[in-house]
Amino acid sequence: MKQFTILFLSVLFFVICGTGTYAQDAQTLLSKMDEVMYSPKDKQGTVQIILTNRQGKEKEREAIFKQKTNKSLYRYTQPESQAGIATLSLPDGVMWLYMPAFGKPKKISLLAKSQAFTGTDFSYEDMATTPYAERYTPKLLEANTEAYLLELTPKSDKSKYSKVVVTLNNKNYYPIKMEYYDRGNRKFKEATYVYEKIGKYWNAKQVVMADLSKQHMTKILLTNVKFDQGIPDSVFTVENLVPKKEKK
Amino acid sequence: MEKLAKVILKFRWLITVTVILITVFLAYQIKSIEINSDVVSALPDDDQDVALFKKIGEDFGGNKIGMIILEAENIYDNEVLLDVQKLTDTLSLLDGIASVTSITNIIDIKNDEFGFEVGSLVDVYQLPYSNDQLTQLEERVMSKDMFNGVIVSEDGTATLILVTLTNDADIQEAGRLLIDKAESLHLKEKLYYAGMPMMVTAISELIASDLIKLLPLAFLVIAIVLFFSFRSLRGVLLPLLSAAVAIIWTLGIMALTGYAMSMVTNNIPILLLAVGSAYSIHVINKINQVKETDSRRAIITALTYIFVPVTLAAVTTIIGFISFVFGAYLTMIRDFGIFTAAGTFFSAFMALFFVPAVIDTFSFKGRKVRENRSEGRDSLLPKYLLIPLKNLLFKHPKYTLITWGVLLVVSAASILLIQRSVDVKEYFKRSNPAWQAEEIMMQKFGGSKPIFVSFKGDLQSPEVLNAMLGTEKMLKENPHIFTTQSIADLIVEMSDALGEGRKIPDDRDKIEQMWFLLDGNPALKQMVSDDLEEGLIITKFASSDLSEKKEFVKEMKQFIEKNSNGDYNITYTGMPFIEMKMDKSLIQSQIRSLLIAILAMIFVVGAILRSIPTGVYATAPIIAAIVVLFGVMGLTGIPLNIVTVLVASIALGIGIDYSIHVISQFNYSYRNGKSLHDALDDTITISGKSIFINVVSVSAGFLVLIFSEMVPLQYFGILMALSMVGSGLAALTLLPVILILVHRKRLS
Repeated sequence: MKQFTILFLSVLFFVICGTGTYAQDAQTLLSKMDEVMYSPKDKQGTVQIILTNRQGKEKEREAIFKQKTNKSLYRYTQPESQAGIATLSLPDGVMWLYMPAFGKPKKISLLAKSQAFTGTDFSYEDMATTPYAERYTPKLLEANTEAYLLELTPKSDKSKYSKVVVTLNNKNYYPIKMEYYDRGNRKFKEATYVYEKIGKYWNAKQVVMADLSKQHMTKILLTNVKFDQGIPDSVFTVENLVPKKEKK
Repeated sequence: MEKLAKVILKFRWLITVTVILITVFLAYQIKSIEINSDVVSALPDDDQDVALFKKIGEDFGGNKIGMIILEAENIYDNEVLLDVQKLTDTLSLLDGIASVTSITNIIDIKNDEFGFEVGSLVDVYQLPYSNDQLTQLEERVMSKDMFNGVIVSEDGTATLILVTLTNDADIQEAGRLLIDKAESLHLKEKLYYAGMPMMVTAISELIASDLIKLLPLAFLVIAIVLFFSFRSLRGVLLPLLSAAVAIIWTLGIMALTGYAMSMVTNNIPILLLAVGSAYSIHVINKINQVKETDSRRAIITALTYIFVPVTLAAVTTIIGFISFVFGAYLTMIRDFGIFTAAGTFFSAFMALFFVPAVIDTFSFKGRKVRENRSEGRDSLLPKYLLIPLKNLLFKHPKYTLITWGVLLVVSAASILLIQRSVDVKEYFKRSNPAWQAEEIMMQKFGGSKPIFVSFKGDLQSPEVLNAMLGTEKMLKENPHIFTTQSIADLIVEMSDALGEGRKIPDDRDKIEQMWFLLDGNPALKQMVSDDLEEGLIITKFASSDLSEKKEFVKEMKQFIEKNSNGDYNITYTGMPFIEMKMDKSLIQSQIRSLLIAILAMIFVVGAILRSIPTGVYATAPIIAAIVVLFGVMGLTGIPLNIVTVLVASIALGIGIDYSIHVISQFNYSYRNGKSLHDALDDTITISGKSIFINVVSVSAGFLVLIFSEMVPLQYFGILMALSMVGSGLAALTLLPVILILVHRKRLS
């Protein structure tokens, strides 16, 4: 009996410690990923968005972007018909839109965060600037010689996802792949990342998001990326949405 | 003929074994037969309306929309909304479902204190709960054309959940899955299922249940008739066996060649049972009648006599079926013609080769022919029916003729009263949920049959969008059009929300920039192509009245002619227009197939009996029976539809056999030196008996269709039985009178 108790307690100990270590590890790993993704003070560059539909037809958009902690500004340059359109994302889900033909910036309400961001396969939820560790509870599924596999469960019950499985590069902690599962626990979207090192930061120079059920794909290419340029806060204001020359 | 009969018996084992082997092989194939009741897939691709309808269906997913109607006392109730959401979320996760739209996720364009939004009507994560919120929702729905009567009925008691299937989805599978899943939620509200996928699923299930229920019943009924006719096991089993083999062969070949069971071809088994058993009845009847001591000799003598009449009967029936191959609008009617013709051929083959081979194989040579024990019972028929009939005809040939004349005049006049029906809804009994669902759709949501008006042009140009709005305005002036939807409406909504007023912006740039927000919204897929070069106005026509549809088409044509210009190209299509074509094709199909059949009958019968006038006499009774059939349809209101349109030509093909029997027997007796009186006496007593048995057994087989779950099939059964009785009666009354009058004239 005594032997059994000892055995039982030691098993219990290992189980508790084991899960504890894993939980901590998963949390640490996710924070490290957030660090890679959100550590630059600011970031700017050109973003090219290529949409490919089921028939293989492509649509292209281009914008100049500026990002700082949880704010971002996108000013579109292509296609020509949408050139000049600008979006400003501010904390707490506030978003402003400027369309040159209409003159004045408009506040955009974002009730449905799960809906697609203007024709792409990214939802507003995917585009959020809040770190992953704040939005998801991680669980380490696997650790192999090349990567970690993390299962992220959304903390908010408003998420469209039941879970996101992230493959994390085990040396530099940037994501290689994110697999999105719907509420019926079926994988329906998949994002793959290509990272490069610019200065001291890792930069996702290419992200491909594929919607598996719609057979639609969005490719994002970042070029001319510069970090820590000291972008002032005044850039991320509603007034700044309207280009200077148009203000009279 | 005798040589052939001997050959058949010589190779009896080969024939029997080969038939068994082929039957086993083809029976195995049947398990892979599919049921397809999709009317759209049966429409001819070379028709302009159909081609456009199919193309729009593929490009915009329009033909694959299922509708679930959720009925409650009040839709604007948090619990009801939660159920709608539950349904929406559950269904959208199913395989084969592209999107699910309901009040809980439908697109809305708003501008309120939170800002401008291209989002959804309600907050998906916080459905309206308080009375204020619910009233607000109700007001919003009532005030917007894009919701009122589209997603929620005006009286607020029904809401639609629109389910678009993926392009590659199997309509039937997806439809069944949707219904099962929705039912498994056990919601307290009442659910109805409408729209093409649901309708197709419902019809397919009726087809399957009909086959399972009716075919055994038809076998039983015919077995009973056969038992009373032959009073022997052989007389019951062999006709049923040969019919079963013919059915298996036909269905097996259908499965093997990839043809599916449709709402028309599903009556093939019962039809073949009724028709096919008749040939074996003739063969067995003849073998029984031959007074030979040697059974093999009896078979040879019987076959020698019966081979030509049965072949002729089969040929004429095949002609009746083949007549559908020419001029049928729906491919399912053409398929029906091909496979029933094949099945009839197999039935005749079984009767002439397989049945004698089996009888010879399983009976002892030299066995004495049994005395006909049923002589006494058999004599009832001649005594009480056939002999009095013959006497009547001889005494009063002119009265008989006048009676028929009056009947024909009344019937011919009633033909004008025949109604036509191409509405798929009318396939269902009124008690069927599918019928009720369509009825609710008609009353509360302006019908379930879509009309698409396509605009090809630059969908970002104010001119094109304004033209769309103008067309929508014209459409709404029609009393049978309640709502219209298009991208132009959404642009107007956006313009309004952006403070530009309820109109299409004059400035093209504004429209182009609006697309920044609209792009990728799933609701747009049904309205506009990816490249923004084709847009649709989606509407529904809430009347199945033909003249109203015609009027609408006329208005539409005039409007398009007046409003077309170089900037855009307007075309339109939709189920109501296709139904109009189907309706028109019903009459054409009826006339054409009947004409082909009549001419072919006269020619074939005339050629075989070596006299074209005889061909005409032979055809006269059945034409009379068909006129009466149409008269009955006109008087009783049984409509001409895609199934009842088949009756006349089939009746012609089967019914002419009775005339052939009468004429063959008459000629045989008359040429063998009998007087006109005696020849007719022979004819009516000998042919009369087999015609009587045949009419009873074939009609009984068809009457089983009364128990069908599908209304047109019930009508089909009744009408077929009616025309069998009519053509039998005509062959035994009208035709002998014609023969009497013709020969008397000749004699005098």
